Amino acid sequence: MDTANTETEILMSDIGMKFNSGPDEVTALTSVSLDIKKGEFVSLVGPSGCGKTTLLRIIADLLNPTSGTINIGGESTKQARLDGKYGMVFQSPVLYEWRNVVKNIELPLEIMGVPKNERLERAEEMLEMVGLKDFGNSYPGQLSGGMQQRVGIARALVIQPEILLMDEPFSALDEFTRERLHEDLLNIWRRTNKTIVFVTHNISESVFLSDKICVLSPHPGRLSAVVDVDFERPRLMDIKSTPEYTSKVFEVRSSFEGV
Amino acid sequence: MAQIKKKKNSSTMVTLLWTLAFFLIWELIAFWVESSASIRSPEKVLPHFWKIVAVAFDGKTINGTDTAIQLVWLNAKVTLIRSAQGFVIGASIGFLLAILMSLSQIIKKIAFPYLMIIQMIPILGMAPILLSFTGDIDSSRIIIAAILTFYPVATNTLAGMEAVEKEKHELMYSYAANKWQLYTKTLIPASIPYFFTGLKVSAPLAITASILVDTLQGGIGLGCLLSQSLKGAMTRYVFWLIVVISAAIGILSYLLMGLLEDAISSHKKAERACKR
Repeated sequence: MDTANTETEILMSDIGMKFNSGPDEVTALTSVSLDIKKGEFVSLVGPSGCGKTTLLRIIADLLNPTSGTINIGGESTKQARLDGKYGMVFQSPVLYEWRNVVKNIELPLEIMGVPKNERLERAEEMLEMVGLKDFGNSYPGQLSGGMQQRVGIARALVIQPEILLMDEPFSALDEFTRERLHEDLLNIWRRTNKTIVFVTHNISESVFLSDKICVLSPHPGRLSAVVDVDFERPRLMDIKSTPEYTSKVFEVRSSFEGV
Repeated sequence: MAQIKKKKNSSTMVTLLWTLAFFLIWELIAFWVESSASIRSPEKVLPHFWKIVAVAFDGKTINGTDTAIQLVWLNAKVTLIRSAQGFVIGASIGFLLAILMSLSQIIKKIAFPYLMIIQMIPILGMAPILLSFTGDIDSSRIIIAAILTFYPVATNTLAGMEAVEKEKHELMYSYAANKWQLYTKTLIPASIPYFFTGLKVSAPLAITASILVDTLQGGIGLGCLLSQSLKGAMTRYVFWLIVVISAAIGILSYLLMGLLEDAISSHKKAERACKR
C-alpha cells in the first residue's frame, strides 16, 4: 500500500485553459501544477467558475489544455482514454432509461467487445459491490436518485479503470442519501484501490472523503492551495463531530482567494 | 396493485365518458338538424349515427353485387394497403434521412429547406405532377402517402438524436466508441420515442392523404367511392359510412403506433407498473 502511494498517476504541470480566442477569450485555468499519486483520493474544490470541472475534463481527455502538459502514468490523456483507464461519474446519473440496470452496467463492456458471459458476470459483481444486487432487472426510472447514482458508479467501475473521475456526483442528492454514499464510496475505494479525482463545491464532503484537497479559486481559475487530510482510515461519520474535522473544514475554507 | 387498477380504470372511464359525450353531442345536433325548418335534407348536414350504423348492417345490395359495407370495405382495403405501403416507405426514408442529417451538418443544411418546400406544395397539386411523372395513379398515391409520412418522421427522429445529453456523448467518447456504436447504442435507441411521435402524426396523415388523392381519379379506393357517393350514385348514407370508417381507420392507425411503441419499449411497461 505504501509503495503504491508513492507512484505518480496523474502529472500536470503548468496547465492553462482558455476558451474562445479573440475578444471573447475567457481564461478558465492558469498554470495549474499538480501531481496525484496512484490510489489517492483527491478532491478538486471550489466555487462555480473556478475551473474545477474544466480541470477534470482535461484529465478525462474531453478537453485539450491550451498550455502546459499532462500525463497519465507516463502516457497521454488520449492514450489513457483509449486504454480504458478512466471511469466517469457525472452529476446526473446519465443512465440509459431503455436498458435495465444490468444492461446499463454492461454497456461499456459491450462497446469494448467483452463476451456476453463475462459481461454479465462482471456487471453482477459490480452490482453487488454497490449494494444493488436485487435490482439488476429494474429500469432506471424505477430507482431513486441515490440508487441511480450507485448504478452510475458501478458502470464506471466495471471496465476496471485505474482512475475514477467524479464530477459533483452527489450534489443532486439529499443529505441522508449523500452521507450513505460517502461511506459506501470510501468502502468501494478501499476495496478497489482506484485513484479518485472528485469534483465538488461542498467543503465538508471533500474533507470527509479525501487524502488531498486541491482548492481552486475563480477569476481566473487557479490552484490556490493543496490541503492534506490525514484522518485515520477507514473513516466513519463520527469524525465529523471532532474539533480536528471542524478545523480542517475551516482551513480549506480560508484557503480560497477572492471569494 | 389496487391503486394501479384504480388508475387504469379511471383512464378507461375518461375514454368511455369522452366517447359517450361525443355521440351524445352528435345526436343532439342531428335532432336539431332534423327538426330545423330551414334545412331541407338533414342527412346531408348530419344524420343520426344509428342510421349510418343501420346502413352498414343493411343486407340490400347497392350496386347490384355488394351491400354498402362490403363495398366500403373493399375500397377501404385498397386505400389502406396503399397508405400502408407509402407509410412504410416514407417512415424508412425519414428515419434514414434523420440519421444522415445528424451525421452531417452539411447534409442537414442542404436537405432541410427542400424538405420544408416539399411539405408546402399542396397534395392536390403534387398528385398530377407525380402522375405525369410515374404514369400510374396508384403508385402516385403511394408516393404521396410516403411524402407526407417522411417529414414528421425525419424531423422528430432528428430532434430525438439531438436531444441526447452531452454527458451521454462524453461517456461514449470515454469508452472510445466508434460512430457505429454511438448510433446503435445511444443515438438511435434514444430517438425511438421521438420516432414514434413522428409515426403517430404521420400514420393518420398518410391515410387522409391517400383518400384525398383517391378523389382525383377513378379506380378503387375510399376516396373514389367518396366522390361517387357524393354524385348521387348511391344513398347519402354511404357517404357517411365512408366518413365514419375513414375516421375510425385514422384513429386506429394512431393507436396501433402507440401499441407498437409499447411493444418494443419494455422499460415503459415496467415503469408504469411500479408508479403509484
